[in-house]
Amino acid sequence: MSIDQKNSTDLNAARRRAVQLRLAGSTLSDVRAEVGLSTPTIVAAVKAFKAGGWAAVDVKPRGRPRRNASADSELAQARDELMQAFSTAQLTQLWTTKNVADWLKTEKAMAVSQQTAANYLQHWQLLPVNLHREMSDSPSSAAATWLDGEYKDFRLSAKNHTASVLWIGLRTTPDGTSQLYAHTLRGRVLWTHLNSQPVSSDYKQFFSLLQSEFPKGLALVLPNKLLSIEVEKFCAAASDNTLHIVAPTSRSANPSENHIAAIQSNNNVASNTTKRKAVSRTAQRTSVSTSVRPTVNKQLKANHASAVSHVGTGGTTGKAMTQPLPGTRSAANDSQKRKPDIKVANPQQSSTSGLPSAQTGLTHLQRLEAESIQIMREVVAEADNPVMLYSVGKDSAVMMHLARKAFYPANPPFPLLHVDTTWKFQEMYRFRDNIVNELGFELLTHVNAEGVEKSVNPFTHGSALHTDIMKTEALKQALDKYGFDVAIGGARRDEEKSRAKERIFSFRTAQHRWEPKNQRPELWNLYNTRKQPGESIRAFPLSNWNELDIWQYIHLQNIPIVPLYFAAERPVVERDGMLIMVDDDRMPLHEGEVPMMRKVRFRTLGCYPLTGAIESEATTTPEIIQEMLLAKTSERQGRMIDNDTAASMEKKKQEGYF
Amino acid sequence: MNAKTEKLIVEDINQYLGVHEKKSQLRIITCGSVDDGKSTLLGRLMYESKVLFEDQLEALEADSKKFGTQGDKLDFALLVDGLAAEREQSITIDVAYRFFSTDKRKFIVADTPGHEQYTRNMVTGASTADVAIILCDAREGIVTQTRRHSYIVSLLGIRNVVLAVNKMDLKEYDESVFNKIVDQFSESVKELNIDSVTAIPISALHGDNIVEKSTQTPWFHGTTLLSYLETVNVDENPMQDSPFRMPVQWVNRPNLDFRGFAGTIASGEIHPGDAIRVQPSGKTSSIKQIVSFDGEMDKAIAGQSVTLTLNDEIDISRGDIISTTDQPASSADQFESTIVWMSDDPLLPGRPYLLKIGTKTVSATVTTIKHEVNVDSLEHTAAKQLELNAIAVCNINTDQNIAFDAYEENRETGAFILIDRISNATVGAGMLHFALRRSDNIHMQAVDVDKEKRSELKKQKACVVWLTGLSGSGKSTVANIVEKKLAAMGQHTYLLDGDNVRHGLNKDLGFTDADRVENIRRIGEVARLMVDSGLIVLTAFISPFRSERAVARALVDDGEFLEVFVETPLHIAEQRDPKGLYKKARRGELKNFTGIDSPYEPPEQPEILVDTAAMSAEQAAEKIISELRRKGILS
Repeated sequence: MSIDQKNSTDLNAARRRAVQLRLAGSTLSDVRAEVGLSTPTIVAAVKAFKAGGWAAVDVKPRGRPRRNASADSELAQARDELMQAFSTAQLTQLWTTKNVADWLKTEKAMAVSQQTAANYLQHWQLLPVNLHREMSDSPSSAAATWLDGEYKDFRLSAKNHTASVLWIGLRTTPDGTSQLYAHTLRGRVLWTHLNSQPVSSDYKQFFSLLQSEFPKGLALVLPNKLLSIEVEKFCAAASDNTLHIVAPTSRSANPSENHIAAIQSNNNVASNTTKRKAVSRTAQRTSVSTSVRPTVNKQLKANHASAVSHVGTGGTTGKAMTQPLPGTRSAANDSQKRKPDIKVANPQQSSTSGLPSAQTGLTHLQRLEAESIQIMREVVAEADNPVMLYSVGKDSAVMMHLARKAFYPANPPFPLLHVDTTWKFQEMYRFRDNIVNELGFELLTHVNAEGVEKSVNPFTHGSALHTDIMKTEALKQALDKYGFDVAIGGARRDEEKSRAKERIFSFRTAQHRWEPKNQRPELWNLYNTRKQPGESIRAFPLSNWNELDIWQYIHLQNIPIVPLYFAAERPVVERDGMLIMVDDDRMPLHEGEVPMMRKVRFRTLGCYPLTGAIESEATTTPEIIQEMLLAKTSERQGRMIDNDTAASMEKKKQEGYF
Repeated sequence: MNAKTEKLIVEDINQYLGVHEKKSQLRIITCGSVDDGKSTLLGRLMYESKVLFEDQLEALEADSKKFGTQGDKLDFALLVDGLAAEREQSITIDVAYRFFSTDKRKFIVADTPGHEQYTRNMVTGASTADVAIILCDAREGIVTQTRRHSYIVSLLGIRNVVLAVNKMDLKEYDESVFNKIVDQFSESVKELNIDSVTAIPISALHGDNIVEKSTQTPWFHGTTLLSYLETVNVDENPMQDSPFRMPVQWVNRPNLDFRGFAGTIASGEIHPGDAIRVQPSGKTSSIKQIVSFDGEMDKAIAGQSVTLTLNDEIDISRGDIISTTDQPASSADQFESTIVWMSDDPLLPGRPYLLKIGTKTVSATVTTIKHEVNVDSLEHTAAKQLELNAIAVCNINTDQNIAFDAYEENRETGAFILIDRISNATVGAGMLHFALRRSDNIHMQAVDVDKEKRSELKKQKACVVWLTGLSGSGKSTVANIVEKKLAAMGQHTYLLDGDNVRHGLNKDLGFTDADRVENIRRIGEVARLMVDSGLIVLTAFISPFRSERAVARALVDDGEFLEVFVETPLHIAEQRDPKGLYKKARRGELKNFTGIDSPYEPPEQPEILVDTAAMSAEQAAEKIISELRRKGILS
């Protein structure tokens, strides 16, 4: 059914339905299929809603005279065929406005100039935004600094290497394809379409297409860190003259336009990994890479990065640390049996001992990292069949990162297990599939089929039952099904009181119960991992981290996380004092309840109906940390589960909730 | 969080982060008796350092009204007493870990119980602590438990101690009360190895001298508790200057071209090119690379988890220690150590336990308990076995050489835990002092005439036929017939019989569990020597415990130990009662009699089972002979 055949009431109903579906997270193609509206109409309706609410969604009386219908339909057909051509060509060639013009000429007998072809493409929403121009036209202060400093150096290096500067981008088109594109400094654009999200080999192909187009060398400006990894992989395969730099801001806060722009703003520094790998390859390239690192975070990163990777040479002056306090340690050597030197009044003490400095040893984050790695290695060394539980949240992201470090250069020798309640945010599923694919993890997902059959959901069954069946029970099922004997989890002791008492290697009975009164003592870093038949172990490498540590680490290590952690306009309803995001159409709206667009983010991610959003302006990791430090409520407050009963977590854990 | 910090967060989050990324970490243990106010102190520290959020404060207010012991005031203890049961009993019953940070440090606090029977929890908390806060009640002064806590703190090697004299408000902030307690404390810990004690008069309830200097104690000129914790010059990474040690945790072999040794550096530092020695094997090589996800490193230091590759292909596995060649670790299989016992089942000398040190797990037995230490009086007392919470100096034997350092010199390579072989529970913690003999100097003498040669001469296969069963089951009778038959066949045998051995080799042993374990250990060793000499050894002992039979089995090679379960129901054995012992035991004249007041653990999978209730001694012996034949012992 086409729009023209609808009367305006039907049309308006369709438009409203389309907006609802879009807000609930359905893809454009799904919406298109269901309501029969064209993509631009749907997009326009959503835009109208965002600007003016439901009333604005309805069509205005049509005052504008209709254009030539045959020309319109001819153009629409041309567009469809062109998309078909893009789709068929995929990665075999790069498209430019020039060869679109050629195509129109040969295939459609439409003699158009390159400019007209560009106009058509623009009109069809097939021309990506020029990121370079966008940034240059209205730079943020960070971007301005970058453009004027690091980027300038980068261009200079590119020139010395006779490399062409290309601004790379990736977006999802209104038709649902992925468009990988590159803008030259003069504004020429080259692109290719893919029918699905690109994987490593696609990037590789894209870069080599670019390379044949610009054989003298590539100087790539990348929108995010993940792409820089792809560049590295590409470089590893072909020893060419390729430089790259990561731009300081991601242009789009809307994740549907740029799925992998997980890390925003000044986090977009290429990871140490990539830099170091480059070191080993060609010294020449390295010098360029290093010199073009954006300054934004240099000062903050320098200390950590150098200390982690190769403890700064001038840094270790252990002497100062081991010097005895006046009258203390030196006396200790004289005699074993002596009266200890008791200082009752010693106002000088703080000045003599000085401020603690991590320059001699490790910083608290380095210690936490080393401890977590040690725990994971111990699991792998002693378990028969280990697994890492993956919740898609930020703690899981940190765990994945630590796992990669712990076993490098090998891949982590265990799969990830996602216990899927089927009620996670759509964005979490997308992120999960992308990141697992990017990083090469093996992912197992488990859903409690029985729960699904009985359509257990948080709305009709309440949070307690839902969590019990879809999470607690499902986890037990999955562990039993695969016979995992040790499950690595991301729980932290600071999250909740009962967790503060849990061991790092925490035992579960054959019934998966936790017995808090019967825990093994855990001394030094000697973990007793021996199990009785039927027992299993939960290992918690992040036990000693707190929320701030997690964020700092994500910040310093540029760890990709689900964009839901960053503030963006999202449709929410207010329930029981919590802002709940309307993530899909399974969420029944109460009477008179209308989703409002609010700029919100999530401090913790679980099932969307149970996870409260907070209103926020934070779009970068430092801003999140800033908000968190100034915030007045604790992290788990955003989860409905804890509010159910007092000591509820302890009870849940005894029953086997992770 | 003070106003200045808050301002910095608001105005320049990046600078704030820069400061906080350089923070160090301090691990603290708080210890004190029940009601000294540990939880309150800790809750106060968290409250004062503003790590509490509004919702937690609301919950605290609500909880204070519901469970609180402070009337209308906030009961800070409720913040840290996590488990539901504890709230009701208002005592902390397990180790809980708490976190708070200031601008200078991140603190991890092990909150450990003061309740008497939970010494093991305190040892657990103290094992990772840099600083100990010992609390005492200003009204009570130094009590027995204060001494006990101080002893454990010194035993675990914590050299920096704060004596926090709490509840000063209840003694009108009286200076003389404080001074008296400080003197008492100093007297009571003079025997202990504690370097530095800082005494601070506080009131956790009112916050005196916790963060801000109290106006109530104008006579006190020292630092506040928090400022002490922020500035105390503990050697944050005490091991940086020690010789290099890295226990190999995992061998990383992603493909044939890469072989890396992953581990956490226990002490010292390492660079590519450094010459290393692998222990206990003693093989040497040098470091090729320090591999990490973040790129190759030119140096790694204590505390880092790294992966090393070597320039030579030498055999290294999990549990080995990599040292630098100039200062290698020691290597031995007999040690003196201090053991803290943590299990309800007592430690029995001679019983094999698993010992985990670093990344290595070996079998170990305590050979001698030299003395137990009374934690209250510090007196040494003799002990035959160790009960829960006992601390003792013991000699310990491992079944293979291990690389180690004295705990005093290196906490990481000198600490071990003991694990029960049957229950898999962690039953003890220990600290190595020194090797009893340098096994580097004692090599097994390789002899030219070996077991095979000797057996060959005798035209037989040497083995132990180990009969086990209740008293009166017929072990000696059956063993005697078996030996006669073997002799008739021209075999070379020896019969070790319970009663006979107890008259000689083991006449110093009684019938307690501990002595029974030692009895069997000695017999096992003798049997092993006899097997080595090529004999078929028959033993007839009750040998009631599975774990000791397992030891005897482990002493000889696979296939050389044949366990024969001489099975007879207790009532039949008691009817037979050839020596009248059951009657004595029933009358209470004989203690620890197997089957009556001492357990018998039947074999789970004996090689041979003879049921003497159903067959005669002659038939039983015949069955054993035919089994020996079937197993190829006899031709």
